Amino acid sequence: MKNTLKVQRAIHNLTQEELAKKIGVSRQTINAMELSKYVPSTVLALKLARVFDQKVEDIFTLEEDD
Amino acid sequence: MKTRFLFPYRFKIIGWILLVPSFILGLLLILSDQDIFNLEATVFALYDSGIFEPVKAFSPIRNNIVDELIAITAIVGGLLAAFSREKDEDEYISQIRLESLLWATYINYGFLIFSIVFIYGIAFYQVLLLNMLTVLLIFLIRFNFILYRTSKAYA
Repeated sequence: MKNTLKVQRAIHNLTQEELAKKIGVSRQTINAMELSKYVPSTVLALKLARVFDQKVEDIFTLEEDD
Repeated sequence: MKTRFLFPYRFKIIGWILLVPSFILGLLLILSDQDIFNLEATVFALYDSGIFEPVKAFSPIRNNIVDELIAITAIVGGLLAAFSREKDEDEYISQIRLESLLWATYINYGFLIFSIVFIYGIAFYQVLLLNMLTVLLIFLIRFNFILYRTSKAYA
């Protein structure tokens, strides 16, 4: 799965730390998602979408091998 | 995130404070095979298969309790260090926790099988003593290494 977290974070001018605080996770989790090492739960994906005021599909997209 | 079965975050530091000194002392005790200091006490033995004495069961015995104290401190410390909540315990950390536990179990039994095949005599007894803590130690190393690496990795 691909995501545009890093871009979204830049648009909203947030550091990993600030974004982590906003959705109540650790900074490691944000980093792991941006590195595509971790696929978040639906709850976490929805929270991210809410922070960025976007649809989940605009942030996360399926890849060929998913 | 709600996490059941984990200790509160503040217990983590207590765990490390208990684990590190008792592990070093315990290692010295196992390797030197001598009593570092003596603390005789009367304890209740469910069963005591004395080496040069008759077997005793359900009776009080005299015993140097230094090794017992060190082992309990190390195990309790290890459990607290390993299974206290992280500051922001979340779903990703839970996943690392579970993976690390699986890792630790596999490597631990790998070591044990290796020791069963290649280590004999009293040394095998020493391996078993160390084996009391290896699951926790491998878990701690793997879990904290991944957390550290993920926090340093540059996206």
